[in-house]
Amino acid sequence: MGKWLQAMETIVNSMSGTMRASVCIVCAALLLCFALYCQPSLAAAEQGPRKVDKLSGAEGNADEDERNQCLKCHREKGSIKKFPDGDFISTYVDPRAFASSVHRSLRCTACHNEFSLQHHPDRFFRNKLQYRIMESHVCRDCHKERDIRSVAVHESLFRKESAGEAVVCTNCHSAHAVTPVVGGNASTGEEKYCLRCHSRETKMDFNDQESISLRVDTGELQNSPHKNMGCSDCHFGFSQENHPQRRFRYEREYRISSAGMCRKCHFDKYSEVSESIHYDMLSTGRLDAPTCIDCHGGHDASSLSVNRLLSVMKCRKCHGEVYDAYAKSVHGNALLNVNNKDVPICIDCHSAHSIKNPTLSAFHDYIPEMCGKCHSNPTLMGKYGLSTDVVTTYLSDFHGVTLGLQRKEAHQGYRPEPPMAVCTDCHGTHDIASVSGTDLHVLKAKLLKRCQKCHTNATSNFPDAWLSHYKPSLRVAPLVFITEQFYKIIMPLMVLGLLFQVLLQIWRYLVNR
Amino acid sequence: MESGKLLDSEESFRKFSVYRIVEHLGLIACITVLAMTGLPQKFYSFGISQFIITSLGGIDNVRSVHHIAAVIFTVLTLQHIFAAFIGVAFLQWEPSMLIAVKDIQDALQNVKYCLGMAGRPAMYGRYNYKEKFVYWFILLGGIQMIVTGFILWFPITAAKYFPGQFIPVSKVIHTNDAMLIFFLTAIWHIYDSIFNPEVFPLDKSIFTGIKKLTGPDTRKGDKKWKG
Repeated sequence: MGKWLQAMETIVNSMSGTMRASVCIVCAALLLCFALYCQPSLAAAEQGPRKVDKLSGAEGNADEDERNQCLKCHREKGSIKKFPDGDFISTYVDPRAFASSVHRSLRCTACHNEFSLQHHPDRFFRNKLQYRIMESHVCRDCHKERDIRSVAVHESLFRKESAGEAVVCTNCHSAHAVTPVVGGNASTGEEKYCLRCHSRETKMDFNDQESISLRVDTGELQNSPHKNMGCSDCHFGFSQENHPQRRFRYEREYRISSAGMCRKCHFDKYSEVSESIHYDMLSTGRLDAPTCIDCHGGHDASSLSVNRLLSVMKCRKCHGEVYDAYAKSVHGNALLNVNNKDVPICIDCHSAHSIKNPTLSAFHDYIPEMCGKCHSNPTLMGKYGLSTDVVTTYLSDFHGVTLGLQRKEAHQGYRPEPPMAVCTDCHGTHDIASVSGTDLHVLKAKLLKRCQKCHTNATSNFPDAWLSHYKPSLRVAPLVFITEQFYKIIMPLMVLGLLFQVLLQIWRYLVNR
Repeated sequence: MESGKLLDSEESFRKFSVYRIVEHLGLIACITVLAMTGLPQKFYSFGISQFIITSLGGIDNVRSVHHIAAVIFTVLTLQHIFAAFIGVAFLQWEPSMLIAVKDIQDALQNVKYCLGMAGRPAMYGRYNYKEKFVYWFILLGGIQMIVTGFILWFPITAAKYFPGQFIPVSKVIHTNDAMLIFFLTAIWHIYDSIFNPEVFPLDKSIFTGIKKLTGPDTRKGDKKWKG
């Protein structure tokens, strides 16, 4: 550098005054031009990396220019990208679909970030799947894993991914025509694809020569809670690329296997079902035992907890006799005639999924708690003028106390015979009737029959031993009430008297000493 | 109520015969078992009750043990009444357990003495008023426990002869009487036989049969039970 400066000094010193001035002007002009040329890039460099507000399209005209430039080729239908295995993918972009998509304000290179107006690399992919997987990675630049996981349906996809399976965002959300998830339809692309066939009357044949229709009612689908899911979310193994041929021996086998679809997302419910009597029946070859879709439906699947009447009707399909008894009961009558939402339906007592065998003591011995859920709720019982004492009086009586203590031995396999009487042993199970308005003699006669179920030799006096869930008072069970009051007085009197005697004697002893 | 015998020494006498010693031991065993198996049933929600019930093999086992002890208690009580009746009626036993006016006077005298209103405590016969109170309370309470206990044990049979409401009434009497007997035993009888400074650490007479006469308030000088 020092040599260069010395050479420059020698040249300048050798110049005349006029020449020196001319050279200075030229150099200044060159410097000015250089400075003007460098200014924008310098300013940009000072601001750091350029941030593009992708969704607002802040880049303005530059975006449009880029989009138009890309669409020059990609709006051409029939343009494809070939893969070494002979497969191909369409590179056509529908400008109108893109213009109405949720990503419409993005420039093309926001997603296809290896491309630019100047650069269009020829990328290599082994096959279409690899291409689609790589493209899905781009989605995750903006849609972070935490946000994706916040949507329950994606959990199963992450599990798949952890297991090494490919997860492709565009399978459900499509690519350039992606619509907003909220209020939109995530499955537009795939659903349209599947419905091309399944909106028409198609059949599935079974080995027993029977067949079922595979037509999907789109109306049902749109009213279903699953409307935003893709077909392959449930029908896994199926996609726009794959459509395996499956064979079933008979329709029921197909229906039962279909229940596995629900497991992917409703794993908790599926686990509960696997501990239920219905699953036990299936395990032992009782194929008539219900599975998910028998109760919830298929494409018209619905949550039965909302429509309580519908829920009862689902159980009725198999448990007709129980339904008939329930319909005549005080609970069933209120549900079926006035659509009372307070009364219990099948699933309130038996649970919806983990339904236990009601003939086992594990179910029988917990019936007081089951009935107590409503009958010890003062707000609920207050609506109907019912006393919440029914539960406490039972639990403090011989049967309730004994049951409570016997339950502690249940884990040792202790099963008293006959089992201790619980609510349903006296009131009935599904045919529970209201006692209000019933003649006392009729009621007593009925009660005696209930007592005789366990106490075979019980006579007509015996039901009076039961205070009918009432707390003793002068009106109800006066003899019991008076005896109780007597002891309430005598007990403290005696205890205080005895203590007085003892303390007095000790005091005298201490004084004498 | 078998008569006691004055021994050679004026300082002690035979208060209880071997028969009464054995009877009392049987009563201790019975009442302990009945209380151990009965009170946890009354206070079933207590952790200690559930521990006892579980340790004894469950509620049905506990009830069986309670029933066995109850039968022994019933036999003990009936034979006691029978022996007392025979003894007093035919064997010239002195009915020294009968409550007399003197017992009430003794009780008042003792209260006065303890309060400093009398110079000396009461002088008793063979049994003092406290012993008589405990005796009659346990005897009459025990009969009540037996009757109500059998009603609860055999409610179907009971309802054939009595109104059904007798069954819950029996339960109230049975459980409350049990508590009264428990308090009486725990507060007074145990105090009087163990912690009372005059007898501490233990009044052994019920186990040895021999009662020593000591202290100012003993039975010395009152020998109407003699013979």
